[in-house]
Amino acid sequence: MRKETKKELRERQVRDAERQRKKVIEVRDVSMRFRLTDDKIMSLKEFVTRKLSGKLKTNEFWALKHASFDVYKGEVMGIIGHNGAGKSTILKVISGILKPTEGTVTSHGNIVPMLELGSGFDMDLTGHENIFLNGAILGYSEEFLQSKYDEIVAFSELGQFIEVPIRNYSSGMLARLAFSIATVVNPEILIVDEILSVGDADFQEKSRKRMMELMSGGTTVLFVSHSLQQIREMCDRVVWLEHGEVQKVGATDEICDQYECT
Amino acid sequence: MKANEQPSFNFKRICALCIAVYVALVILLYFLMGHQLHFRESRGDIALPVAESGTVELAQGAVIEQTFSMEVQRLQEVSVQWGTYYRPNSGTATMELYNRNDGSLILSKTFDVSQIQEGGLTTMTADEPIEGLCNTPLLLRVYADSAPGAAASPLMSISGEAALNEDLKEGQTPFSLTMNGQPAEGVLCFSVTGEDYIWTGLHYWEFTTALGAAIGLYLLLVYRKWTQGKHSVLANALVAVQKYRFLIKQLVNRDFKAKYKRSILGVFWSFLNPLLNMLVQYVVFSNMFKFDIPNFPVYLLCGNVVFSYFSESCGMALTSIIGNAGLITKVYVPKYIYPLTRIMSSMVNLLISLIPLFAVALISGLVPTKAYLLLPIPLFLLALFCLGLGMLLAAAMVFFRDIQFLWGVLTTIWMYLTPIFYPVSALPEGVQAVVKMNPLYLYLTFVRSCIIDGISPEPVLYAQCAVIALVTLAIGAFVFKKSQDKFVLYL
Repeated sequence: MRKETKKELRERQVRDAERQRKKVIEVRDVSMRFRLTDDKIMSLKEFVTRKLSGKLKTNEFWALKHASFDVYKGEVMGIIGHNGAGKSTILKVISGILKPTEGTVTSHGNIVPMLELGSGFDMDLTGHENIFLNGAILGYSEEFLQSKYDEIVAFSELGQFIEVPIRNYSSGMLARLAFSIATVVNPEILIVDEILSVGDADFQEKSRKRMMELMSGGTTVLFVSHSLQQIREMCDRVVWLEHGEVQKVGATDEICDQYECT
Repeated sequence: MKANEQPSFNFKRICALCIAVYVALVILLYFLMGHQLHFRESRGDIALPVAESGTVELAQGAVIEQTFSMEVQRLQEVSVQWGTYYRPNSGTATMELYNRNDGSLILSKTFDVSQIQEGGLTTMTADEPIEGLCNTPLLLRVYADSAPGAAASPLMSISGEAALNEDLKEGQTPFSLTMNGQPAEGVLCFSVTGEDYIWTGLHYWEFTTALGAAIGLYLLLVYRKWTQGKHSVLANALVAVQKYRFLIKQLVNRDFKAKYKRSILGVFWSFLNPLLNMLVQYVVFSNMFKFDIPNFPVYLLCGNVVFSYFSESCGMALTSIIGNAGLITKVYVPKYIYPLTRIMSSMVNLLISLIPLFAVALISGLVPTKAYLLLPIPLFLLALFCLGLGMLLAAAMVFFRDIQFLWGVLTTIWMYLTPIFYPVSALPEGVQAVVKMNPLYLYLTFVRSCIIDGISPEPVLYAQCAVIALVTLAIGAFVFKKSQDKFVLYL
């Protein structure tokens, strides 16, 4: 075998080092197409009559075009872009809610989305029951929830109200409960669409701290925000999306500076 | 999205458990099905023809002979219908059944003529079913020692003979009637019942062993794939069960609690509802139409319990996807979980409503038999059927919201085509054929056979129920799988 030159050796070492950083999310050439009809057809009659009269027009709209990037284990990855750039769409594709029209997303690990709080709540159940229901929806195990139950209740500051049906809760109480459930876990991959600030000033401070703790605690985080200040504060790397295409991927400061110039 | 965590369960143990459960079930089923596994009511039974006239006054010296043959493998009973001229008679009458091949006497019985009622039957019953008479020429002879004027007369049907002889197959003896040695036109009013062997009874162990071997082989294949790190359908299903067990439990819990939310009686309604329904139907139908159904309350309750499970679970599965739109668009959970949990929470309801069913059966004097233990079979298969249909409906509902209104009408039609409060025999023949193709009719027949008759149904019903359930499930799952990626775009 030919002896490797120094340069080749170094290149190989870099490649190996690269390989050793485990990729937890691989986004490969992902495109997402939406078909927009003039208005949604919700009945069979409407569908048939339109189809027959040839009025079934569809406008194609590509929310993502050939987006590719990797997220490595333990890093905090920011996603920036203007409105309609496809930020939320890419999060939905990564968390498996949307299936991409083309391309693949591979993820290794339990994904906990914090897209919207409390979407799995049932208003007629008590706070106690909702902790288990919502926890199950987020993919937590029963043993885990049981062991963390006291912590969740304590964090939410609900006290005795935990045994009351949540339809009687104030919106602040609901938000506190939802936040407590969503952040109790140490997920392998956490998806955050804007930092959530709920409750009174004290609770806001507490929840901000909890988020920071989570993000610095070895979890891989995908973070979407319009606040460049937050992005600069927390992210290791940034993906810049524009009109569904990946404009640039790179170190936070570099990309943010360029983004601000536009 | 694939479950990438390696679940921590022991595949070997699960395989061993599967085989053990299978063996236990096979043995249990053998005992629970009992007699019905081996024999069924013979298809070759000869039904009593409609009596049109009397034969001759059966006084001393008069002999009536009827030749016939039948396709009954195990002969049990032969009956003759009598007329009495509406007067008190006396003496003794004798019925004898001969094998005409060797002239041997097979059955005989002597009756007291004074006990015979107008239009009544006298029956010879074999102690043990008699075998080997299938398609053998037979002779039924009736005579008596009564004095003229005090003798009864067996009834006959003149038009019935043509119909019976028309159905004859090659090699069978034609029906012919002789009175006092003179050939006569017509046929004696007699009936023959017996039972036939069934394939399942004769080959039960061979069949179950072969099936067991096939299952074992499949498990082995799956296990080998598993150790090689490949995923097969079964392994994926096991992983999913492991992973989503807790979620399913929570969702079922929620559905169940949501159903009776803020009602005072709560779960109590689960068994009050079918009882009240049954009561209303009982009052209406036992006065309006006079169906001759034994244990009518139990008959009604069985129908109600089965049908309300069907309509409730499918109705709930129908809205399972659009009803959980808030979740589906925000968190990834396999979408089949939603119809599945709806079917399961309805099943909890069904199980609760079995309590009043058993109570009413007990009050009606039906003693629980071992056939009750067979009930999980039709109920499980019914659940699979509903799951398949529910998935189909849930998927269709996402794209066309009209489905829910259509379904409302369809369930009403379906209800009237299911013999919930009427016997199938009350329908005209054309409609009967339609009703008998109704899957719910099959499941209902199964349940009624276990509870009212206290015996296992014929093995063929097991097969029919299973095939319908699996085919429906396969179709539903296929359509659901094909369309589920588009759901989120239409919610």
